[in-house]
Amino acid sequence: MSRDLKKVRNIGISAHIDSGKTTLTERILFYTQRIHAIHEVRGKDGVGAKMDSMELEKERGITIASAATNCNWKGYDINIIDTPGHVDFTIEVERALRVLDGAVLILCSVGGVQSQSITVNRQMTRYKVPRIAFINKCDRTGANPNRVTQQLRDKLALNALPMQLPIGLEVEMKGIVDIVTMKAIYFDGPNGEIVREEEIPAGLREEAEAMREQLLDAASMFSEELMEAVLEGTPTPEMIMEAVRLGTLELEITPVFIGSAYKNKGVQSLLDAVLHYLPCPTDIENIALDLDHDESEVKVTNKTEDPTVALAFKLEDGRYGQLTYLRTYQGTLKKGDSIVNTRTGKKVKVGRLVRMHSDEMEEIEESGAGDIVALFGIDCASGDTFCDGSLNYSMSSMYIPAPVISLAIKPVDNKAQGNMSKALNRFTKEDPTFKTYVDEESNETIISGMGELHLEVYIERMKREYAAEVEVGAPQVSYRETISQRAEFDYIHKKQTGGSGQFGRVAGFMEPLEEGDYEFVDSIVGGSIPREFISACDKGFQKSLKKGALAEAPVTGVRVVINDGNSHSVDSSDVAFQLAAIGAFKQGYLKAKPILMEPIMKVSVEGPTEFQGSVMGSLNQRRGMVLGTSEEGNYTVIDAEVPLAEMFGYSTILRSLTQGKAEFTMEFATYRQVPKNVAEEIIKERRKEKK
Amino acid sequence: MQKMDLADKNPLRIFARNSEGDPVDKRMGLLMSRPGLGKTAILVQIALDNILRGNQVLHVSIGQSLDKTRAWYNDIFKDIFDGVKLDQSKELRDKVLRNRLIMTFKEADFTRPKLEERINDLVAQDVFRPSCVIIDGYDFENGETQEVVDLKDMADVLGLQIWFSALRHREDDRLSDDGVPAPCHEVGGYFDTVVMIQPEKDQPDLSLVVVKDTTGCVKPGKVLDLDPSTYLAKEP
Repeated sequence: MSRDLKKVRNIGISAHIDSGKTTLTERILFYTQRIHAIHEVRGKDGVGAKMDSMELEKERGITIASAATNCNWKGYDINIIDTPGHVDFTIEVERALRVLDGAVLILCSVGGVQSQSITVNRQMTRYKVPRIAFINKCDRTGANPNRVTQQLRDKLALNALPMQLPIGLEVEMKGIVDIVTMKAIYFDGPNGEIVREEEIPAGLREEAEAMREQLLDAASMFSEELMEAVLEGTPTPEMIMEAVRLGTLELEITPVFIGSAYKNKGVQSLLDAVLHYLPCPTDIENIALDLDHDESEVKVTNKTEDPTVALAFKLEDGRYGQLTYLRTYQGTLKKGDSIVNTRTGKKVKVGRLVRMHSDEMEEIEESGAGDIVALFGIDCASGDTFCDGSLNYSMSSMYIPAPVISLAIKPVDNKAQGNMSKALNRFTKEDPTFKTYVDEESNETIISGMGELHLEVYIERMKREYAAEVEVGAPQVSYRETISQRAEFDYIHKKQTGGSGQFGRVAGFMEPLEEGDYEFVDSIVGGSIPREFISACDKGFQKSLKKGALAEAPVTGVRVVINDGNSHSVDSSDVAFQLAAIGAFKQGYLKAKPILMEPIMKVSVEGPTEFQGSVMGSLNQRRGMVLGTSEEGNYTVIDAEVPLAEMFGYSTILRSLTQGKAEFTMEFATYRQVPKNVAEEIIKERRKEKK
Repeated sequence: MQKMDLADKNPLRIFARNSEGDPVDKRMGLLMSRPGLGKTAILVQIALDNILRGNQVLHVSIGQSLDKTRAWYNDIFKDIFDGVKLDQSKELRDKVLRNRLIMTFKEADFTRPKLEERINDLVAQDVFRPSCVIIDGYDFENGETQEVVDLKDMADVLGLQIWFSALRHREDDRLSDDGVPAPCHEVGGYFDTVVMIQPEKDQPDLSLVVVKDTTGCVKPGKVLDLDPSTYLAKEP
């Protein structure tokens, strides 16, 4: 099957909560004839918009999981990856960004660039995703697309370039003027499906001309052909589009479009823009790591005839069984093919291959490079790479942050118990930032993740999708311990009473490890510990790391070196050396001056300048470190680093401090040492709990 | 003690004490140069010198983003303390973070009352108590003399060191009586210390030249060489 990759677009739609992303996607699917009726996100008909396939999303009116869906516009294949809008789900956003080639940044014409847009924009910049902006909700009272365009420049540092002009705003919005073709566009019919082109209304002519001048100035930077044509006064729409496309692909320009998805205005023009300005798979350079050659970087080819390389970027366990979303970077995926998971080395067979349309699907026989499809019945984790066996590539590993918050959950009855474990099993497979384990001492099930909302959503899903009702404990911050200096140990484990004896001596030292969690170094010479017991020592140390002696938090950042020991020809065993290592760790650990570490969040508060002082004060009270402020007119963004432990309930505090006019986002930044006096409190508290 | 040792690694300590050895804690300072010669880099080195001496520094960046300003600090920090032991450098970095606050303003938004209000806010909320304020990117060309007078007044009232940067233009060779070049020739008299970054003739090297100083720290003339690739001041 040969496909023209130039006619493929893998795009993401990313935005702040409530800027109308789901409604827009719904309209796109309607106009591309993927669905045949329009439902609203909070629709009265109870059906809900197509992309929000999860019940919970329908209820809350927000999008949580990114479903990939395929549609066709003017002969182009468009794969849309719907991305969640809340920071707590950034792993979803980041994963989606990894596999898409371009993105549409949606902004509300009233709310403008809000803090979440800043976070998403930062992520897009990190993954070098070319983007276009769509200013939605131009029908709402207070709509001001010009102000939003200016904010794109100021707050996101994007070179925002308006491509359209509204014909009226708020309830008066009738259509748009396309500055490239210099035509007015109206959207007729009950659902705006009939696009009608007219002359530009006389009153807007002048403004449109001025904007076009600006556009030509900016665009001609990227095309000599256009620059010459401008000088001669003969630029064609095609030349302009090509130049803007080049600028967009180089991330130098962000073309801005306007409309109102809800009122069916501007969506088709936006689809045209996706075709014109966003990249096709071959425009983007994707790098794989060759595992056979020291992870050297290799450019994937996008060619169908080359060996297959595909990345599993999302798992879903829907009503049809486990579904794995894959993006193919080169080669093909065919029904019946064998592919190899390069992480595990396991070979799997491609069974059913489908193109997803939210929660409906279309069976296909084969898919090619650049495509996004889903497979059934493949066991893997998100982020795994599949090759055809002749290559051993891994698409560069995705950065996965460690969970920072946890809470205990308890099923209310036996039935809930079973359902709960089913649910947890699925969630952990789908989402690498969501972890779960059973605490050995309290026998409680602990779930951990990236934020309060993150965990709340999973608890809700358990209830709804799995009928698993659970009691929820108070959220706990995930502390860690580490050592601050080198310390020696020399420990003999000896037991000679009853049964067979145990003997093992382990000596060496531990020291802080700058990068990584744990490193074990065997510097034994002369066999003072026989080789067969070395791994038992390692195991013993690893067991000790699970709970530190300070606050029973996991210990990280430790290098353990063993350089001496003794064994006994009869009494030494694996168990004896494991216990000796545990004893040795205990002996050395306190001498190595352990310290308690806590997760620090990067917090960004945005609101009217008048509240700047009191907001900074509130962050300061929470042991926060204000990094800086950006003031713009009467709006200020305050950046700070605050310990997560102090951020519980901050949204309520912030609301009352600022009359509800400020909002904040937070993101995990790093682990940092807990100040001494605070650490003492925590340790005391933890010890008391144990008693 | 160690902190002092590190402060001594920074050549810009020359502005910290007068010839009697007393610390200078009130000053209107001005750093001038043509575009691209490293004004911000020098200001950041002055700020770091202050932080290592236990002062808190408010860095006001006009027309530049927070991230960009922060990046300047990270780069200069890395260059100066290259070779300092890791655990110490972590501690230092933490110290810098705690004692530096960056504020960014749009050009049109920056005024004395606004800045004073912010500083008072910080002090009142017990967030921050700056004794040195860096003002990078102030537009002297279109600024009013009265505003400089106002800011000097503020420095007096709050007991601050303020360091400004100013952009010089190649074509404009007007000078004040005490040798302060345009666009600051009309306000030169309000400054205690005026320093210029100057390229050496026919060489890539840069040097720091004192135009005037009434605080008694330095004498007019060339005081330091700058590394043209990192903009770091070299030991005299």
